[in-house]
Amino acid sequence: MNPLIQGLATIILGVGGCVGYFYASNLLLDKVLYPAKGRNIASNIRRANIIRPWLFIFPALLVLTVYLAYPVVGSAYRSLFNRSGDEYIALGNYLALFESPEFRRSFLNNALWALFVPVVSVTAGLIAAQLSDTLKWGNIAKSLIFMPMAISFVGASLIWKFVYAVDSDIGLINAVLAGLFGAGPIDVIQIPFWNNFFLMFILVWIQTGFAMVILSAALRGIPEETIEAAILDGANPFQIFFRIKMPQIFSTIVVVWTTITVGSLKIFDIVYAMTGGNFGTEILPSYMMSFMFRDDGRATSVALVIMIIVLPVMISNIRQAQKELR
Amino acid sequence: MENIAGKKPALIWAKNIAMAAMVLIWVIPTFGLLVSSFRDRDQISATGWWQAMLPVELTARARTGTEATPDGPLFRVEGNIFDDEEARSYFSGTPGDISAFGTRGAEPTTYPAGTTGDLGDGETLTVNADGSYVWITPEKPGSRGQRVYFAAESPPKLTLDNYRTVLSGDNMGRAFLNTLIVAVPATFIPILVAAFAAYSLAWMEFPIRGLLIAGIVGLLVVPIQLALVPVLNLHNDIGVGQSFVGIWLAHTGFGMPLAVYLLRNYMAGLPRDIIECARVDGATDFQIFTKIILPLSLPALASFAIFQFLWTWNDLLVAKVFLPSADEAKVMTVKIADDLLGSRGGDWGILAAAAFVSIAVPLGVFFSLQRFLVRGLLAGSVK
Amino acid sequence: MTSKFRTALFCSSAILAASLACAASADSHLRFPIGEGPFDWAEFQAFADSHDFSGQTLDIAGAGTGRDADLLREIFAYFAEATGAEVKYSGSDSYEQDIVIAVQAGTPPDVALFPQPGLAADLAKQGNLVPLAEDTQQWYIDNFAAGESWADLASPTGPDGKPHVYGIFNAVDVKSLVWYSPEAFDENGYDIPESMEELKTLTDTMVDDGLTPFCLGLGAGAGTGWPATDWVEDFILRTQPPEVYDQWVKNEIPFNDPRVVAAIEEYGYFARNDDYVDGGSSAAATIDFRDSPDGLFEFPPKCMMHRQASFIPTFFPDGIVIGEDADFFYFPAYESKDLGRPVLGSGGLATIMQDKPIAHAFMAFLQTSLPHALTAAQGKTLTPHTGVSLDAYANDTGRALAEILLSATTFRFDGSDLMPGEIGTDAFWNAMVEYTTGSLTADEAAAAIQARWDSIR
Repeated sequence: MNPLIQGLATIILGVGGCVGYFYASNLLLDKVLYPAKGRNIASNIRRANIIRPWLFIFPALLVLTVYLAYPVVGSAYRSLFNRSGDEYIALGNYLALFESPEFRRSFLNNALWALFVPVVSVTAGLIAAQLSDTLKWGNIAKSLIFMPMAISFVGASLIWKFVYAVDSDIGLINAVLAGLFGAGPIDVIQIPFWNNFFLMFILVWIQTGFAMVILSAALRGIPEETIEAAILDGANPFQIFFRIKMPQIFSTIVVVWTTITVGSLKIFDIVYAMTGGNFGTEILPSYMMSFMFRDDGRATSVALVIMIIVLPVMISNIRQAQKELR
Repeated sequence: MENIAGKKPALIWAKNIAMAAMVLIWVIPTFGLLVSSFRDRDQISATGWWQAMLPVELTARARTGTEATPDGPLFRVEGNIFDDEEARSYFSGTPGDISAFGTRGAEPTTYPAGTTGDLGDGETLTVNADGSYVWITPEKPGSRGQRVYFAAESPPKLTLDNYRTVLSGDNMGRAFLNTLIVAVPATFIPILVAAFAAYSLAWMEFPIRGLLIAGIVGLLVVPIQLALVPVLNLHNDIGVGQSFVGIWLAHTGFGMPLAVYLLRNYMAGLPRDIIECARVDGATDFQIFTKIILPLSLPALASFAIFQFLWTWNDLLVAKVFLPSADEAKVMTVKIADDLLGSRGGDWGILAAAAFVSIAVPLGVFFSLQRFLVRGLLAGSVK
Repeated sequence: MTSKFRTALFCSSAILAASLACAASADSHLRFPIGEGPFDWAEFQAFADSHDFSGQTLDIAGAGTGRDADLLREIFAYFAEATGAEVKYSGSDSYEQDIVIAVQAGTPPDVALFPQPGLAADLAKQGNLVPLAEDTQQWYIDNFAAGESWADLASPTGPDGKPHVYGIFNAVDVKSLVWYSPEAFDENGYDIPESMEELKTLTDTMVDDGLTPFCLGLGAGAGTGWPATDWVEDFILRTQPPEVYDQWVKNEIPFNDPRVVAAIEEYGYFARNDDYVDGGSSAAATIDFRDSPDGLFEFPPKCMMHRQASFIPTFFPDGIVIGEDADFFYFPAYESKDLGRPVLGSGGLATIMQDKPIAHAFMAFLQTSLPHALTAAQGKTLTPHTGVSLDAYANDTGRALAEILLSATTFRFDGSDLMPGEIGTDAFWNAMVEYTTGSLTADEAAAAIQARWDSIR
């Protein structure tokens, strides 16, 4: 069937199906199974209300279980087997990982990514949010800073190739070095250790827009009276920012921070496309790619390691979520 | 936010400059690619995009003519170097003045234009800035003239050819359509499913609610590569295989944690009173959801829609795994990464144009929906 | 619009339209009308008469994209014409990944064109390829120069542990070539080196003259490092007998065997010397292999020689005419070592993945001389098929390459293409990058690759 028609049909069927499911199931619950009338009205209503949340949440749970929870469990299981899945080797894959120097390097690099990217993105996002809120052309600025989020990773690696290239006729950095300072060409992709930061900056470039937008919304939510009271008390803008605004939006900062941290631990495209993992830039997700489809046991064990690393970050985020419930 | 404290001129200037500096850093790289998409391949490797509007100094190669007039014991060949087709082929448009010339490829600019180069044995060559030359040689020229290398300016050339090639080539239109077909349902369906779930997690009381929230948010950490093989096998087993239906389901699944997380966050911040009032008035949860929550949550729904649309539009890996690899089923990212990069890998102008063609729609979506973004993500902003 | 612009616009649209038309109507546009040209039409007619698949479709997947894909479609058009079937071809730059995904998804194509037999071997072992008829081996011996070697290359071990012929080689590239600008050589008075010793002397002479001998580019995104593997393979063939090469490829001798390390160091003799390589050896690691030949054609030239396979002209700047502006010479062997003239090459292997009659018929088509002659006539690749007359080649360059191929005393297939995917498309590449930039010594690089081999067993 023509995919266009298939797509339209899916939207209609999907949306209609979802709405239909919710409507029909609620109807069933309220009118047929536990109607709110008759002798058992109280217990009926009670029972209906116990079941109802599950109706609402069922499709999401189903999808999440199938597409995320089941693969995680399956992968944890498969990580205990060898490359083609027929021989049980318990923690053999994990041991091999820890002995492998590439893994250790990827691990360290990933730690750098998880520290550097959120710090710089959130800081830059905060600065951008604060500045753009007070300027007339703030919205234009916001849109321009957000724009990298709309660019695919393939496009982003192409864009930064024109910045980082060694040839001073192609790469912007080397052109500036040669033109303004007369300095020789530097291959930033190959500088030991520091090349990682150049790659990380690409992710910062992309994620800052995300941080900025959310933090800007949070800043606007701070009650005007608080700020005005502080001004009347004689506080200067810096004091206002650090002593009043930041504490008020602290929970949002934490949310943004954790989201970006999780992202920086999962994204492999940048390293994969720019260096293929060479020059000491390997990170865990791109390291995993070298085993994808070839050595199932190894690939899944790396993935498990990634998830275990992210766990502390998620625990703090979940605690945050729990706090908001109260 | 207008406050009294922020009116000092120095501070305002500082703010403007700081913001401008940041915007500049953010925009310049993309701008560079945009400029490159209008240049052709030779120009891109000759100079940087910041010089795209400037004439490019090129070294080119040509031959003199062979019609010689005797000049005593010597032969004299005159003409204009730009009469040679090979010379013209290096320049896009009218070449500028010649600045220097030479007779060896390794030393193309030994003699400044207008001077006479002594080639030994009485042979001399003079090339002027306008291309006219005089070549004096002791031997009668054979079938080919003397090789002349020279440096001259080529006018800047901006062209739409790259875009033409990308847009008319090889199923690119089909790829665009495919991307649209993947992205739109993959945005709508997760929103709907997540909205219901988010409401129940935000406003309905039931025993393991906290645990479920934790679990769903926890699933944010799963790297998607992990899920590819098992889910593909599952799709095969249930008969969906590699198809559009498969990728819609996959994107729904992968996008669910973030969707539920963001929407629940927002819904939890909606005013309690409205909901309580509605309950007291006898509305069912379903009615509350459709008539109150959904309309109020529109900013959050729209902002998640933007993120999800961007994510599915720009996605490469999920498309490669869950869609068939036949040419008609490729999406734009796959087309660019697999097709264009392979066959035209050295042609950076075309790749740049392709990148911008694929950016156009997400940018359009973003700019038209951006006002929702600001409102949509703040928990508790609706006071 | 200036008239020149309009002309260019018209020309490019016409070319685009023509190629689109060709691509779209693959079964109605034939590049060489039947009956014309140096092709065996009688054989073709016999094939057409005995095969009829009207109304059926054949799905072919391969690695060629863009213009390469168009050339492939030109050849498939003849199959379509002969049998009445429709042929659908789709290509991908990340073919190695895609075909594995397709196997996992249960949707492999009918016919798969593997750019690397190593990958085909992996799939054959798992039982995903359909073996060809038993007499295909004899067909190789009868029709290909050095047919037995080709038959061996096309015969990986199947799931039963025994080798079978699984594919037909449909396109061959020669890799032991050095590209140069003939005029640049003439102007500087250089001669084509006939031996490796002469090449090394020439290299030093060039440096003394103030020129840079080699352009080297290893960059290729996720595939960075692959050109270096070709250098190493060529050096192993030139420093060791071919049996050692075969053992090396199968890991019967360890990767860090001193003989292999010595070959790596020969590569390093050239690549790690900053004077010998344009931009220095560390720049070589990030310069894209598609950009690196440009230096040959600039004034002043950035380099004088570029060692690369026969498909590199696709990436030369526009307007370069092979034979005039650019030419090649055989990457020489050592005179002192007496190992003949070994040639390194690679080729695409066509295999069957779905056991259908139409797929087998396509293999039968590949066993006629026509597709091989066509591929020669297109000027892109070569063929060792002895039934293809040298006249079929599009130009003298093709003929010269074919002669190299046909007269090689030893022919060996690209080693990294034969090794398992994890080595040949990952460990080997990465280690070579690190060796070139100086992060690892040859011993360390070889040891790292051997460690990866060990982990596979």
